Amino acid sequence: MRRKKGRVNVFIDMTPMVDVTMLLLTFFMLTTQFLPPAEAEIVLPSSNSAIKLPESDVMTISVTKDNAIYLNVDSQRLRGELFGAENALKAGIRVDGAEQLANYLVQARTINPKLRTVIKADKAAPYGPVQDIMDVLQRVKISRFNLVTELEGA
Amino acid sequence: MAGGDVGAPRQARHGNKLHKAKRRLNVRIDMTPMVDVVMLLITFFMLTTVFNRPQTMEINMPPDDAKVEVAESNLLTVRVATGDRIFWNLGVEPPRAVPFADFRRLLVERLAANPNLITLVKVDRASTYAAMVDVMDELNLASITRFSLGPFQDFDRELIAGVAAP
Repeated sequence: MRRKKGRVNVFIDMTPMVDVTMLLLTFFMLTTQFLPPAEAEIVLPSSNSAIKLPESDVMTISVTKDNAIYLNVDSQRLRGELFGAENALKAGIRVDGAEQLANYLVQARTINPKLRTVIKADKAAPYGPVQDIMDVLQRVKISRFNLVTELEGA
Repeated sequence: MAGGDVGAPRQARHGNKLHKAKRRLNVRIDMTPMVDVVMLLITFFMLTTVFNRPQTMEINMPPDDAKVEVAESNLLTVRVATGDRIFWNLGVEPPRAVPFADFRRLLVERLAANPNLITLVKVDRASTYAAMVDVMDELNLASITRFSLGPFQDFDRELIAGVAAP
């Protein structure tokens, strides 16, 4: 039995490694939430508020910097019921006028009373449209809502 | 590479007798490429996942029909005009301008002087949304939880027209 001086042919069993990586993969696949596609780009203002946006049952009213108002709900089913099946896959629809917005809000709240309302307005948007939206919210008796902001300094 | 032992007979080291025994093939699959692929996928999901959900600021508005009587001395009116100018006044005093940097200190002082303070915020429609969020953020930081938003009207504009900038 002569000991050959050569490279030791080490075979590392990768199976446990595959097990672990598969677990990690499953975790990330299940927890991942892709960035929701936005109808328009919105730069958020910053604040020191630390309340997180709720994960589900959210109704978003977006205001872009050109004063366009979009309404979106986070469930595709509700979107279909609300805006018609052809808009179910879109990232919200454009709303013109306070009346239309009020109608949509009332309808959405009737279908899903747990909906939380959030206003997501652009930093550079004028206050006027936001005030109009808040008036509409008050009229349809949504007295609690959230403003989406970004953490200061982030 | 160790791939050579795929299908290597277990008893080969006992001698090279050519007997064809029915035995299980000792299959060793090289897992390295699989690990590579899985690692790539993990990296992808780790990078695309969104951990930081946006922050929100909660606002409670009283119902439309609720009317609250407030003593004028307890009322702090904050007016936000175009160009992010902030004006404040207590009761019926004439408004005074305050720079944004001193705004929080002012709020804390006013609240300390009068714990029953009710704040009314009036933001000009032509002002920016960011200005309104900034003011409300300062109110929250000064732990003023009771504030209301009022419409900015023409007389507000006239009232602050004569006030010099800080």
